[in-house]
Amino acid sequence: MRTFQQSLAKLEAADTQVLGVSMDNPYVNKAFAEQNGVTFPLLSDFGGTVSREYGIYKEYDKFNRKIPAARRTTYLIDTNGKVVEMQVDADAVDPTKTVTACERRKVKG
Amino acid sequence: MRKTSIAVLLACSLVIALAQTQKESARPAANVKVGDLAPDFTLVDQNGQPHSLHDYRGKKSVALAFYLWAFSPN
Repeated sequence: MRTFQQSLAKLEAADTQVLGVSMDNPYVNKAFAEQNGVTFPLLSDFGGTVSREYGIYKEYDKFNRKIPAARRTTYLIDTNGKVVEMQVDADAVDPTKTVTACERRKVKG
Repeated sequence: MRKTSIAVLLACSLVIALAQTQKESARPAANVKVGDLAPDFTLVDQNGQPHSLHDYRGKKSVALAFYLWAFSPN
């Protein structure tokens, strides 16, 4: 999320709203946002309903337990509500591709 | 005695089979792909404010970034 914060100005300049989503509760997200200087909304998909709907609900082995979490995925959704770009796992950490796609679309539009 | 145990065994396998089919149907149908309509949602942010995907329709693009956990690296 820090990498998105660093690219936030560029994304906003390209008329793009950044929304982070995880299965954390809002209180954890608030602490996380404050500690990392995140100014965009961090949404709480507590229980994983939305992650399931997007088909990225996963279980991770952590602390010898299975912990549910959303697979790291970035969707770029256009003004018609359609998915136009998608980055998964390691690709989704660095928002450069998303930024480039937004800027390209802005020029076209 | 023997009849009872067979009946119990049958009942157990039936329950297991049913549980299996339920598991199958609970799985998401397909992942959201490029070109698909993004499923709408309303979720609460870190300040308790609700955000819906449809709020941005016709106004802004949305970069929807799913992350594993708060405080996970990156």
